[in-house]
Amino acid sequence: MEKLLNELSSQSNPSYEVKCDIENDCFIPKHLKRKSDLGLPSVAENDLLRHFTNLSRMNYALSTTFYPLGSCTMKYNPLINERIAKHEAFNSIHPYQPAETMQGVLEIMHCLERDLCEISGMDYFSLQPAAGAHGEFAGLLIIAAHFKSLKQKRTKIIVPDSAHGTNPASAAFAGFEIVPLKSEPDGSLSAQKVKEILTPETAAIMLTVPNTLGVFEKEIAEIAKVAHENGTLLYYDGANLNALMGFARPGDLGFDVMHINLHKTFSTPHGGGGPGSGPVGVKSFLEQFLPVPRVEKKNDKYVLDYKKTKSIGCVKSFFGNFPVILRAYAYVKALGGKGLKNASAQAVLNANYMLAKFKDKITVPAGSRCMHEFVLSPKAALGNGVRTLDAAKRLLDYGYYAPTVYFPLIVEEAIMIEPTETESKETLDKFIETLNKIILEESADEPQRVKDSPLNTPVARLNEVEAARNPILKWK
Amino acid sequence: MDYTPQNKQDKQKMFDALGIKSEEDLFDAIPADLRVKPLNVSGGQTEQELLEHFKTLAAKNKTLVSFRGAGIYDHYIPSLVGEITSRSEFWTAYTPYQAEASQGTLQAIFEYQSMICALTGMDVSNASLYDGASAVAEAALLALRVSGKKKVLVSSALNPEYIKTLKTYLQNFNAKIVLLNLSSNGTIERATVDASLDDDTAAVIIQSPNYFGIVENMQDLSAVAKEKNALFAAVVNPISLAVFQSPGEYGADIAVGEGQPLGIPLSAGGATFGFMSVRKGLEWKMPGRIVGQTIDKNNKRGFVLTLQSREQHIRREKATSNICTNASLNALAACVYMSGWGNDGFKNLAETNVSKAVYAFGKIKNIDGFKAKFENSVFFNEFVIETIKDVKKINKTLIKNGILGPVDLSNCGKQFKNCLLFCVTEQRTKNEIDKLVEILVKI
Amino acid sequence: MNIPVDLKFTKTHEWIKIEGNKAKVGITDFAQHEITDVVHVELPENSKNVKKAQPAAVVESVKSAFDIYSPVSGKIVEVNEEVLGSPELINQDPYGKGFLFAVEFSDNNELADLLSAEEYKKII
Repeated sequence: MEKLLNELSSQSNPSYEVKCDIENDCFIPKHLKRKSDLGLPSVAENDLLRHFTNLSRMNYALSTTFYPLGSCTMKYNPLINERIAKHEAFNSIHPYQPAETMQGVLEIMHCLERDLCEISGMDYFSLQPAAGAHGEFAGLLIIAAHFKSLKQKRTKIIVPDSAHGTNPASAAFAGFEIVPLKSEPDGSLSAQKVKEILTPETAAIMLTVPNTLGVFEKEIAEIAKVAHENGTLLYYDGANLNALMGFARPGDLGFDVMHINLHKTFSTPHGGGGPGSGPVGVKSFLEQFLPVPRVEKKNDKYVLDYKKTKSIGCVKSFFGNFPVILRAYAYVKALGGKGLKNASAQAVLNANYMLAKFKDKITVPAGSRCMHEFVLSPKAALGNGVRTLDAAKRLLDYGYYAPTVYFPLIVEEAIMIEPTETESKETLDKFIETLNKIILEESADEPQRVKDSPLNTPVARLNEVEAARNPILKWK
Repeated sequence: MDYTPQNKQDKQKMFDALGIKSEEDLFDAIPADLRVKPLNVSGGQTEQELLEHFKTLAAKNKTLVSFRGAGIYDHYIPSLVGEITSRSEFWTAYTPYQAEASQGTLQAIFEYQSMICALTGMDVSNASLYDGASAVAEAALLALRVSGKKKVLVSSALNPEYIKTLKTYLQNFNAKIVLLNLSSNGTIERATVDASLDDDTAAVIIQSPNYFGIVENMQDLSAVAKEKNALFAAVVNPISLAVFQSPGEYGADIAVGEGQPLGIPLSAGGATFGFMSVRKGLEWKMPGRIVGQTIDKNNKRGFVLTLQSREQHIRREKATSNICTNASLNALAACVYMSGWGNDGFKNLAETNVSKAVYAFGKIKNIDGFKAKFENSVFFNEFVIETIKDVKKINKTLIKNGILGPVDLSNCGKQFKNCLLFCVTEQRTKNEIDKLVEILVKI
Repeated sequence: MNIPVDLKFTKTHEWIKIEGNKAKVGITDFAQHEITDVVHVELPENSKNVKKAQPAAVVESVKSAFDIYSPVSGKIVEVNEEVLGSPELINQDPYGKGFLFAVEFSDNNELADLLSAEEYKKII
């Protein structure tokens, strides 16, 4: 167990100091002055370094192990991108510097926008949103603005029951009412059912393609047709774009608005929960509604345009999460069109290879082929009251991070595996062997051991009920 | 480079296992007419080529000595911050869903939350939001949600990016934003708030130091909000809290702000992070992730994501927010930053910021053609100077000298015509300030 | 599974105890078992008007949240503040200390739709 900082805090000299080269009394009127103690720890630099280094060693990370987290695309985060992002000429730039003194920043943003358009089949992107859900929110505000400009009262968004939780949450956040759509047993959607629930009030349908069970939406063309005939727009959740690069483009499939998670498909690190980046893309008839500022190229110079009267405004300060954008651009330049296609091809090959090794032993709700990820339902294979959660925790003992579990909600005891393209056959084989062993052998032979797992992690299973009933949310 | 490891033999084995001839066979599900032509995306660069390419791009940016703030501040970042955030066990981890395998990230966030609470004097902090602007918008939504009321009063001296973001967030909500007018001394007066407050007011949102650098009388403004049962949301600069009254001290219900001053580089304005802390009783209404302390099966202390039923992955359209990925790695940077000063050191840092800004203010306002816009104000990093000189020329001349000059405030309304917003942090040396003054004298 | 015969029930697993024109409401033993450990509860405000079959409260476990529907239309006349601080009461004593709220109902006809213990037993 690593001590908390306030327990480490001593009378020792703190790590940092600042010197003031101006002799000038800092006068603060009494009524504005802080009276209470600051309550910060005082820890010497040597001890602080050890504290945080020790903490880091209690993490499983992509750099230490296979991280087959479904729907999160935990692909290798290239080190060259980190090296580039540390360059002072990128991170010492103030966002309000005159455009002519940050042409490099603007050029990167402009070029990444063009590349994302080519990859996705959209016409324009704004790189401002800071995460996938943020991009969804911006996209839905664009949809609302579009119908407002047409003076149409459309208040409803159709969201399949297999969708990520952010979809309905973002739609509600943007002021829409959610119409749930029941998916077929394999997670796919029926164009006929879509048609039946469309009304003149349906603003958009939010879809994830391939869907969250890893299946390409086979009726997508028909769904797009019935939606558009109804004046309804199609929203593409880019969480699963890693399956499609170079094979199909959301824009060609009929989508009008989309977001991309740069921290998934475009290899930028997840950072333990951000910062990410969720560019929002549109077809040209929606360009006028994109967030400001827009980066534009005029006479070979890049400029920022804040004056877009129909824009939805801005969803955060400034341009977007530039360091993330920078890394994504470096990734695109490393791969190019060919490399991107190969990345998707390998991601799909890896997933199918794994699926083939599981499908005869563990129930697969969505058929024997998948795209870049797949879902298992080990309910029948698990014995003795062992649950998916137990199997997931047991994987930690073998040094693996656990796959996504209990999602999508429509599959019982779901395990969702996404290997990505950057894992070797050897890694996959070992993981397959381990998970099969846990589910098929250990759950039968030593169920209690599986239920008691993890046994080799820094802490054993934690009491989440107590944590929520009697919350301790800061140092005592 | 495409970072895929499989060699030809391995691939062939995988094809055989699947009974296919190539990867192409796996894409059968995509109808032929929906397939795409080869992508026209340049690339295929090696590491060396990438380094060269980005060096060229970097050379198109100019690193300047900054006297500009307006929401992003040039503070010194201790080496330890970069060392810790560069540990791949932190930066290549995902959101800590599997608590037992994520104790490092979880404990660090718990410590971050503890120190945000310490600085703001509030009871509960979340694990971070995207940035200051979106944190303000989330604060307004929190207040609207808790109160069921339909109006928020907002300081017109709130950072304009925050006002714009707030408007965007609320555009499809049945809620009204009322901007509170600025007094002639650059602050929001108690009477102004009082006059706009009514029974339908969910919250009063005030920034201090405000956009013009001035520290508001938050005690007074918070009290008047309380009288009408409105929540008081303080938008604060975290470093300023070492010397100025904390939101907890003046009875704020919500404290939010931009976390960038706490060890995050300028990076063209982002990625940064936003912080949010609230008084006890509001935690179940808060947006975003929260880490809590608990025990494991063997009674050992450990940390988990908690109060999760507020969040989108469980509550879906009824969640307190749609936020999922936030800004964890930057919260970690802030955690490392906040933990190394000690109380006296952090206070000294804040005082150094004030002293240097006061020194620069005294010098600049006495230059011919320049004067203080708000003479007797109390400020932190920033102050407003009015000039009879050509504002554009001032900044052009400064850039030629490698200096990023003040923000031109002419967009902030008539009141701010010919006004400049200067920013001075502890990073600016006496020499740099004197050089700035020297150049301004000659204009 | 405990299903007291003197109570009425809904298909959405609320129980109702009629006391004059007041209906006391909670969740059934079956429901608390399905929800698992309750960690948080949201209750309606006193004197708020509620509608039949509309969400009136929320009961939350670590990994899920459930809307609790008012079985009848009317005005909230009592809320059980004790479960706010001790949500475990809903697991320990769902028909007693773990009740949620009481509604003063306006339309007697709505009672006809409620299930008897016998009928409720059949649907779980």
